[in-house]
Amino acid sequence: MAYHKTEENPWPLMFLVGLAGWFLPGGGYLVLKETGRALIIFVAITATFVAGLYIGSIGVVDPIGYRLWYVVQMMSSPLVAIIGYHTQGGGFPVYGRPIEMGQIYTSTAGLLNLLCIVNAVYMAYIRKTQDLEQ
Amino acid sequence: MLELAAILMAQFTIPEEIGTTPRSLLLLIPLLVSIAIVYKATKVFRVSAGNFIKESALLFGSILVFMVITALALMAVAWFVVR
Repeated sequence: MAYHKTEENPWPLMFLVGLAGWFLPGGGYLVLKETGRALIIFVAITATFVAGLYIGSIGVVDPIGYRLWYVVQMMSSPLVAIIGYHTQGGGFPVYGRPIEMGQIYTSTAGLLNLLCIVNAVYMAYIRKTQDLEQ
Repeated sequence: MLELAAILMAQFTIPEEIGTTPRSLLLLIPLLVSIAIVYKATKVFRVSAGNFIKESALLFGSILVFMVITALALMAVAWFVVR
């Protein structure tokens, strides 16, 4: 296998892939036509996030009370802001171990999505700058 | 249908009952599964069912074994400190 550089500008695709990956877990891979990979990532990250909400209640997403956790949770998707809008200020009961577990689950989902975004963007860069010859 | 949706949504407004018991550590396992699957999904060159499941299971197992060993080591340290 050999690689050779192309003259194509990779930035628009990288930006699109990054944005799609943030809006929808696995969306970046979908843009790159990696459907299987996208589906696996979407299911795994969404399930982790939803499990966190189920364990700790939607009160684990609180942009005022738990600002740092919220920043990490937002990496899952900007749609988390909708939950944050309704839960800000502690309108839902959260306490003890469930909130810890809920925050760990939702934040892990956010960090996993960040990993996927970075990987998808890198994949887009590779595809645009290097053509694989077999 | 709307009632069902409302009941389902209501489940997400009340936290689950989780005591501070060793059994609560079992909640770590689903998280570990998710981490192993997502990490392997980003790493495998081509996603094929057999290979992907094998790779993910292997990663899941290695992390679990490492965590159990770490927990045992910490337990041993705690035991020596207490004695």
